Amino acid sequence: MNKTIRDQATNLSRRRFIIGSAAAAGGGLALGFKVPSGIGTAAAQTVANGAAEVNVWVVVKPDETCVIRIARSEMGQGTLTGLAQLVAEELECDWKNVTTESPTPGQNHARKRAWGDMSTGGSRGIRGSQDYVRKGGAAARMMLVQAAADLWQVPAGEVGVANGVITHAGSGRSTTFGKVAGAAAKLTAPDPKSIQLKDPKDWKIAGKAVKRLDTADKLNGEKIYAIDLKLPGMLHAAIKACPVFGGKLVSFDEAKIAGRPGVRRAVKVDDSAVAVVADTWWRAKSGLEALPIVWDEGPNASQSSALIAEHLKQGLTANDAFAGRQEGDALKAIEGAAKKIEAVYSTPFLAHATMEPMNCTVRITADKAEVWVPTQNGEASLAALSNASGLPLDKCEVYKHDLGGGFGRRGGTQDYVHQGVAIAKQFPGVPVKLVWSREEDQAHDFYRPISQCRLVAGLAADGKLVGLHARVSGQSINAYLNPAAIKDGKDVRQLQGYAKDPGDAQLGYTVPNLLIEYAMRNTHVPVGPWRGVNTNQNAVYMECFMDEVARAAGTDPLEFRRALMQGHPKHLGVLNAAAAKAGWGTPLPAGVHRGLAQFMGYGSYSAAVAEVSVGNKGEVKVHRIVIAIDCGHAVNPGQIAAQVEGSVAYGLSATFYGEVTVEKGRMTELNFHTYQILRLASMPKVETVIVPTHDFWGGVGEPTISVVAPSVLNAIHAATGKPVRSLPLKNQGFTVV
Amino acid sequence: MPSRRQFVAAIGGLAAAQLLPALASAQPDPFAPLIASFTGGAPVRQGRVTLDIPSLADNGHAVPLLIKVESVMSAADHVRRITLLSEKNPRPVIATFHLGPRNGRAQIATRVRLNGAQRLMAIAQLSDGTFWSGSAEVVVTTTACLDDS
Repeated sequence: MNKTIRDQATNLSRRRFIIGSAAAAGGGLALGFKVPSGIGTAAAQTVANGAAEVNVWVVVKPDETCVIRIARSEMGQGTLTGLAQLVAEELECDWKNVTTESPTPGQNHARKRAWGDMSTGGSRGIRGSQDYVRKGGAAARMMLVQAAADLWQVPAGEVGVANGVITHAGSGRSTTFGKVAGAAAKLTAPDPKSIQLKDPKDWKIAGKAVKRLDTADKLNGEKIYAIDLKLPGMLHAAIKACPVFGGKLVSFDEAKIAGRPGVRRAVKVDDSAVAVVADTWWRAKSGLEALPIVWDEGPNASQSSALIAEHLKQGLTANDAFAGRQEGDALKAIEGAAKKIEAVYSTPFLAHATMEPMNCTVRITADKAEVWVPTQNGEASLAALSNASGLPLDKCEVYKHDLGGGFGRRGGTQDYVHQGVAIAKQFPGVPVKLVWSREEDQAHDFYRPISQCRLVAGLAADGKLVGLHARVSGQSINAYLNPAAIKDGKDVRQLQGYAKDPGDAQLGYTVPNLLIEYAMRNTHVPVGPWRGVNTNQNAVYMECFMDEVARAAGTDPLEFRRALMQGHPKHLGVLNAAAAKAGWGTPLPAGVHRGLAQFMGYGSYSAAVAEVSVGNKGEVKVHRIVIAIDCGHAVNPGQIAAQVEGSVAYGLSATFYGEVTVEKGRMTELNFHTYQILRLASMPKVETVIVPTHDFWGGVGEPTISVVAPSVLNAIHAATGKPVRSLPLKNQGFTVV
Repeated sequence: MPSRRQFVAAIGGLAAAQLLPALASAQPDPFAPLIASFTGGAPVRQGRVTLDIPSLADNGHAVPLLIKVESVMSAADHVRRITLLSEKNPRPVIATFHLGPRNGRAQIATRVRLNGAQRLMAIAQLSDGTFWSGSAEVVVTTTACLDDS
């Protein structure tokens, strides 16, 4: 493993190599590896030092190192290791010899998207690319075997392969990947139809909790995040956009900061933002703070959270909602029911608050545009660079850095790349690093959309649920980021998790009379995807209300759900697994109460049981959370557990503290003293139960967040006897301990 | 689920040339009914129409494009109409432009909203009644975290 770590460090030190070569050669930065342009791998693809590109996914070096190419972005979620496992599994190489590298978006463009989609979101890293990366690994193995068979003049069918060693039992000969890779790279790729992938039952590398390939340099501090990047002659930029969304920049008085040490210029970025550029970032930031700026805040300056809440509330009963699901006649069934239960829930805007704020470094020359950037979508960064610089795509290059947190913020839009280019264009040939302050990051996020939900249920005299009506009123992500996807206000994505059909986010209940509606109520605040997106809010609404209804029916919440879930065996499977592991129904210490929730998102099924106690003054202690997930195939159980634990930390932060509020048209929580996150001491014990059913590919990064908040809220309901219908808990008289 | 496009793009490293035509011919042409309603069933020939659009766009808000039709734009010989069709937008007919000899040039530069990566087609009807077409592929990168629901 030491060797792997060393190789990895060498590979990732590419960034230092870039820096070094920039110093030596001035312009024309070299990349860590060169790939020939053009589709196809029939021609010999010698990369460097005798290493051979067997195909776009696999490069083999003479020293037996297998370099696996990873197109998706790594932001801590572990996709780099998981994808490498899938390729290595089919390649039949020795896992100890595996290292990774990332093709650049420019190379992907030059090779006609040979690596496919680079977008990293929607929990798609594994499930979206498993088919073609496994085929890439298998094709490389077939070519390596064929090369050995050709060498020995025996049929390929007689040749065996394991751990990077190729053998011919009949003649007792053997060779290794490193020795035949050059010849293999010259062979014609096999017909994709002839590629047989392994049955996951036979996996030896995939399916195992192998250690991550990217840990060492994060621990020893060698890792260069984009915010750490230093280029020779680099200038630093601090930016401020009009604090009111939609407001404009009128003027700024550059003369007032002209004499400040290190300050080069104050520059207009676009219609709504100004930047100060200096020789260090601190000088840029303090220069920006001293710069007199005149804004035209526009009509949105009168907006507030109170007005937005009224706007959404009106949507709960307005006539312009669209029915996402309509089965039977819910309104009539509820009207005629023996008992009627009604509740209104609400969830706030949330910021992503990535540990590393938005940043990028851009250099523009007459014939080349480059950006060093933490991005969830390298191709989007490339397109933004081309668009903003005016240079064609083949004159643009993106150097992806692993992200210091993504959560959707660095994938929904490329606003910071557009800004970085607009600034760097005014300093031709000079690299300019734009770093947002924490305050700018909080003030100009693309927030999780705000919404409210009114739910009404009808119970028959025997306690059976006969009708359910849910109306979500709130802001639409598509309306902001992808308006072309919506026709006539019918935005099903805001009803994520309530779908009828199996797919990514199916509701796990069968209700005879069901009406699920969405009333689009947009605001002036930009919105975007936030890890788990709308499953988070929609799970709070559905799962907390389900507990209220179960209580009204006098039935145990687990039993009440089970009765509605008989037609949804996978939803039920994870719920049962979580309940069993948590010991649902068994005695608890005095004062400790349980709550549960289940939901589906990103193709995977999740359920949680939380154990919570509540003090006299509302002090909430979350003792333990058990989360069960069925993601179909579990490629790296260790990473799945890590993702579940991360989702509990992220989900509990939102449950207890998460909220950005609008006053005078702008955000008010601008740093971590007002936008708090969970502390280590409040982190509960997390137990992950992976119950893969091995018949589909689901996501892992996002699905389990959705069950964190409702399981805790249901436990608080059990502890206090009162439902909590609005988040965050800090506004409801609760503190976290 | 990888879309056909992702699959084709990715497997391209292996054998795109053989794969593409087979897949393409197996799919029904999404433009066929739209074309028929524009042409009334008259034949459409490829050529004379150029559709210029960036091959990669970071979002679909306002993607710049240029439609050019080879025509002298005289009273006797000009472009009468141009329709722009989308493979993926919920409203697949993005626009129909009406032209005449006084336009001088049969050239339209505009920005369009696009719902994801797709093929666009422009069809021009000339004053002699004939129809001509050009098409282009554009990759609109995927917004993070949106699922297939």
